[in-house]
Amino acid sequence: MLRYVARRLGLGVLTVFGVSIVVFLIMRILPGDPLVAVLGSDGMQRLTEEQRTAYLTDLGLNAPLYQQYLGWMGDILRGDFGRSFFRSESVADMILRRGPLTAQIAALSVLLSWVVGIPVAIVSALRPNSVADGAVRFLSIFFLAVPGFWLGMLIVLGLLFAFGYRAPLTGADLLGDPWTTMQMILGPAIVLGLGQAAYIARMARSSLLEVIREDYVRTARAKGVNARAVIRLHALPNALLPVITLSGILLGFVLAGSIPVERAFGAPGLGQAMFQAVSERDVFVMQNLVFLYAVVFVVLNIVVDILIAWLDPRIRYQ
Amino acid sequence: MSATDPASAEAAVAAQQRPSASARALDWLRRFARRSPVSAFWGVVAALIVLIAVFAPLIAPADPLTANFRMMSKPPNEAALFGTDQVGRDVLSRIIHGSQTSLMVAVAAVLLGTTVGAVWGLACGYFGGRFDLFSQRIIEFMQSFPDLILAMAIAMALGAGTWTVILAIAITRIPFGGRVIRSVVLSVKEMPFVEAARGLGASHMRLMFRHILPQCIAPYLILATAHLGVAIIIEASLGFLGVGIPPPNPTWGNMLADSLNAGLVPPWWLVLFPGVAITVTVLAFNLLGDGIRDMLDPRLRGSV
Repeated sequence: MLRYVARRLGLGVLTVFGVSIVVFLIMRILPGDPLVAVLGSDGMQRLTEEQRTAYLTDLGLNAPLYQQYLGWMGDILRGDFGRSFFRSESVADMILRRGPLTAQIAALSVLLSWVVGIPVAIVSALRPNSVADGAVRFLSIFFLAVPGFWLGMLIVLGLLFAFGYRAPLTGADLLGDPWTTMQMILGPAIVLGLGQAAYIARMARSSLLEVIREDYVRTARAKGVNARAVIRLHALPNALLPVITLSGILLGFVLAGSIPVERAFGAPGLGQAMFQAVSERDVFVMQNLVFLYAVVFVVLNIVVDILIAWLDPRIRYQ
Repeated sequence: MSATDPASAEAAVAAQQRPSASARALDWLRRFARRSPVSAFWGVVAALIVLIAVFAPLIAPADPLTANFRMMSKPPNEAALFGTDQVGRDVLSRIIHGSQTSLMVAVAAVLLGTTVGAVWGLACGYFGGRFDLFSQRIIEFMQSFPDLILAMAIAMALGAGTWTVILAIAITRIPFGGRVIRSVVLSVKEMPFVEAARGLGASHMRLMFRHILPQCIAPYLILATAHLGVAIIIEASLGFLGVGIPPPNPTWGNMLADSLNAGLVPPWWLVLFPGVAITVTVLAFNLLGDGIRDMLDPRLRGSV
């Protein structure tokens, strides 16, 4: 087990390194001029060549690429995520202020996706081709097609029309003011949770259908174990292993999906910060946020892999 | 009737053995409809949407860009079935024109991304070794980004425009093509017919493109149709976040983004209709894709 964890962590370090290179390449090599972002294209044209060079040197963009890269990595290792062109708050502070809300939304949505997806999959798999199964399958296909941010906009509008209710827009911390926080995270979490639940239900259904045909399930039934216990104690634990892996992959769906969904709900999380950075073309903030999101995604997937290896000896002895 | 004429008899036999292309296509469609009627129905819906997109300028009742300040923010009525937006543009016409942009971007991005990925995967699977190892690491790095975030970063770095959006979405599709085609090639290249061709002295190029590539066509088609829906949603999300196709050209995503600027509370018709368009289109392409997958390769059920 320890060897597996060590190898997985080693690969993870390599992946984070590769991810940093990809982010750097996208932000620096692609033919957008970062100065256009700062000054706007009109401002760019009024710039003399000397001013341009001065600005670039000031921002450290005239140094050779590898120096820029090393500088960036050094900053990040020191915990310095830079500063936005447009706001006085440092990016690190902004992440600490807004991050928790997005993390709560993500955690709650994963919880919801399991709470909704698994029972639905069990009902569906135990009576394949029944009416309930058909409804479940249609709903899961339907929720794969609905854009989460649009569902969010509809919920916001619906609540407003029906109850004149609007979720609070300003920050609060979970412990200090749980009710306000709950109102802010519940909407986004439901939308993202349903989106994931559709994938989870589909995967759990097919995985369960496969497992209940296995010999050991039939043996357990033949010994006289009752049907519920067989499903709960014999079939489900094995059927859920691929679902856990899928849930890890879906974290990417949650992290990315929370950007438009937070915008739809007006929830002030990290996704909103990302949206702001994009609409202001704030290259440096964007670079750090994209890197942060990717690292979080990689780390969470390592955690899921280790969890799977711990649950499933077949993987760790490979 | 000249049954004794050997030439025409031969032609008749040949015609019997090889029905015309259109007859074969019809037959294939008939089998498809019988096998998965639900997919066939949604396939018809998808075809209608494609027709609407292609003939958008002929179908749209009004110009999608003309503002009409006497008709600002009107709810659905006889003159404008889906209402008008805050500068009086006809929402229905904008949705119809938006279908053109959305579909074009999605199809172009999926074809580009899947093709590049497939060729890369073909090379990886065929040559193996250090090139494959290196490529797999790069694909892993690309897959370490959630799709939408990678697309956002690329679209933002390249600046707004139709081609940048296509490129941004296409890049996120490359790993999928690469992985799937690589695994197909890995199993195909060990098959006896490939070995036989190699034994006869076929070159690498001939082996790859003449013998192995045809085996990749079915998975390629399945993959491409499966990813159309995702591409449409990513395009809409990019538009919603302001890094998609820039306004005033309507896309479903930037219409939804626009609705948030229409006032403190967005009018419901500006929110409802573009989203319905996205959902129905994605649903149609996803279900059509499921049907095509079952038809071409039932073993892939649930894996692509």
